Amino acid sequence: MAKIGFIIAVVLAVMLFPAGLPAEEDTPPSAIEAASPPLDQLHLSEAVICETLEAFKPLNSSVIFPVSVGSIMCFTGFDHVPELTSIFHDWIRRDRLVFRKKLVLKTPRWSSVSSIQLREADKGPWRVEVRDADGNLIRILRFSITD
Amino acid sequence: MPLFLEKLLSIIRWQDILDILLNSYILFRLYIVLRGTRLFLIVVFIFLLLIVQQIVAVSSMILTHTVLQGIAALTAIGVLIVFRYEIRSLFQSKGIKDILWHVSTKPVVTPVEIIAGSVYHLARKRIGALIVLPGRQSVDAAIQNSVSWNGQVSREMIESIFWPDNPVHDGAAVIQGNQINRVAAILPLTERSDLPMEFGTRHRAAIGLTERSDALVLIVSEERGEVAIAHAGHIETVKDATALEHRLRRHTGMAVGASQRQSNDRVAAAVAFFLSLVVVSSVWYSFSLGFVRSLTTVEVPVEYTKRDARLEIIETSSTSVRIQLSGSLQLISRLDPNQIKVRFDLSKVVPGRNSLTITEDDIILPPGAMLKKVEPTSIDITVDALGQKKLPVQVDWAGTLPPDILVDTVQLEPATVEVIGGQLMLNGMETIYTAKVPVDGLKRSGELRTAVALVPASLRLVPGQKNSIRVRFEVRPRQLITSP
Repeated sequence: MAKIGFIIAVVLAVMLFPAGLPAEEDTPPSAIEAASPPLDQLHLSEAVICETLEAFKPLNSSVIFPVSVGSIMCFTGFDHVPELTSIFHDWIRRDRLVFRKKLVLKTPRWSSVSSIQLREADKGPWRVEVRDADGNLIRILRFSITD
Repeated sequence: MPLFLEKLLSIIRWQDILDILLNSYILFRLYIVLRGTRLFLIVVFIFLLLIVQQIVAVSSMILTHTVLQGIAALTAIGVLIVFRYEIRSLFQSKGIKDILWHVSTKPVVTPVEIIAGSVYHLARKRIGALIVLPGRQSVDAAIQNSVSWNGQVSREMIESIFWPDNPVHDGAAVIQGNQINRVAAILPLTERSDLPMEFGTRHRAAIGLTERSDALVLIVSEERGEVAIAHAGHIETVKDATALEHRLRRHTGMAVGASQRQSNDRVAAAVAFFLSLVVVSSVWYSFSLGFVRSLTTVEVPVEYTKRDARLEIIETSSTSVRIQLSGSLQLISRLDPNQIKVRFDLSKVVPGRNSLTITEDDIILPPGAMLKKVEPTSIDITVDALGQKKLPVQVDWAGTLPPDILVDTVQLEPATVEVIGGQLMLNGMETIYTAKVPVDGLKRSGELRTAVALVPASLRLVPGQKNSIRVRFEVRPRQLITSP
C-alpha cells in the first residue's frame, strides 16, 4: 500500500445529486432491489470513477484512465441515508487490495469521494468495491490504468 | 568386519555380482580358447596395455595416455591382420561347446609307435621324409600349397606318401592326432646362416616351421639315413625308434595318463577362473569405487510421482536440488546427469502446503556413486484440489488512449465465465481478466472480440465453454477541466 503511495481522501458532504454517468460496473442483486429502497435502507444512487470533481460533480468519468492524469477518484452518491453510518471504498488491483478508505455518510443524503495518485506501476485492471459498514458489497466499479 | 569390506557390502548390488561373474567367465573362456597360442600372449599384452592406460589416465598424463590409446588400437588392428589365419582356424577347429563350455582338450591318441616305426623304415631305405606334428598352435598360416589328404595314419600310408615315385612325396606330411591331414606341404625355410653344410632344404624347412610354431617336425635324411627332430628352432638326431617314441609321446601329451591329464586340466581351469575373478573384480572395483575418489555437484530436477489426479501442484519451493556425489574418478568424469533422479511420492500429500524431507530413498544414483550432500534438505509443495468457480470478466485495457477520448461504458458478453482450477487458487480469484486489449486508435464507439487470459496455465474453462468475449464500448469526448 505504501508502494502506491498516494492518498488523498477527500470526504465531501454535499447535498447534491449529480447526474454523472456510470463506469463499467457490477451491481449486486441486493443493490438492484434497492432501486426502490425501503425507508430504513441506505441507497446508492450514483457511483463512478472520474478524473476530478467540478462543482461537486464527477467530471470525465470513464473506464480507462491514462497514468498521465495523475490521480483519479471514486465518487459515490447516496440519495437516502437513514442514519449516520459509514461505507468503505476498497481499491483493488488484480484481486489484491491496495487501499481501503472508510467514509462517513450523514442523513438524509450524502456523497463521498476517495482518491488515489497514479504511478507507472499502477497500470493494469482495477476495481473499486463499495461496501457498507457491515462489509456488504453495494457495487463494483471496474476500470483500467493505461499508458 | 573391516571398514573396506563393510563399505563394499553396503554398495554392492546383485547386478554388480552378476556383472563380475559374467565378465570373469568371458575372460576365463578367452584363456581356455587361446591358451598355448601366440594369440594368447598378444591378448595379455593388450590387456596389460589397457591397465597401464587407465593408470596413466588417473595420473593425468595426457600425452602418454593418448600415445597408449593409439598403440592399443594399432595392436588390435595388427592382431587381426597378422593372426587372421590363427583366428580363423581357432573358430574352424573348435565347436560352440568348446568355446563356451569345455575345459579339457579331447585326448587324441597319436599312433607314435607306427610313426616311429615308419620313419626308421624309411631311413633304412634311404627315403627322405618330412613329417609335421603340430602342437597347440595352428600351422596353417605357415604352410603353403599343401594337398588335402585326410587319411588314417598307418605304416603303409606313410611309406607310400614318401615313396619317390609318388607325386606328393616332395613336401611335408602333416599329422594331426591319428590323421594325415595334408601332404606335399611347403614349409617356410629358416633364414639362419649358422646351420651345418650337410643340412639341406628339408632340414631348413623343418627349422623354419618350428621357429614360427610349437610344431615338432621329423626329418628323414635320404643321404645319411638319419632321423632328426626339429622343435622350437633346434634340430637333433634321434638314434633309435624308442627314443623317438618317447619324444613323440612328450610332444603329443601322451607321456602322462589320460586321467592325470584331465585332472591337471581341471586344476589349471579352476586356477584360471579364480584369477579371472580376481582380475575382473579388481577392474570393477577400480571403475565403481576407484582408487582415486572424486567429488561432483549436480543440479537435478525434482520429479513427482503417484499424484492424485484430483490434486494440482500449485507451488514448489524449489524445482531442482543440488546433489553432491562422491565416486571413482572414472565414474565421476563419465557421469551423465540423466542417471540421477530425485523422485517424490505424492500419494500422501494433502491439499495445502506440505513439507517433504529429501531422503536417500528419494534419490536414484548410478552404481558406485555415493551421496554426500543434498541442498535443500526439504521441499515445500503446495497442492490443491480441483474446483470450479464462476468469475466476472474484466477487460485488461492497455496502450495509449487518444487524449481527447473517454471510454464511457463497457458491456461484455458473456459477462462471466466458469473456470476449473485449484480450489485454493480459485478462492483468491474474484475476477478473470481478458488478454490485453489495445486502446490505441480507439476513436468511436464499437465492439471487438477478445479472450480471457487463463493464468496460471493450470486454469481452464469448463468444457463446452468458448473462450471468446464480445466487448461493446461507448466513447465520448473528454471535457476540459477548468478548476485546478
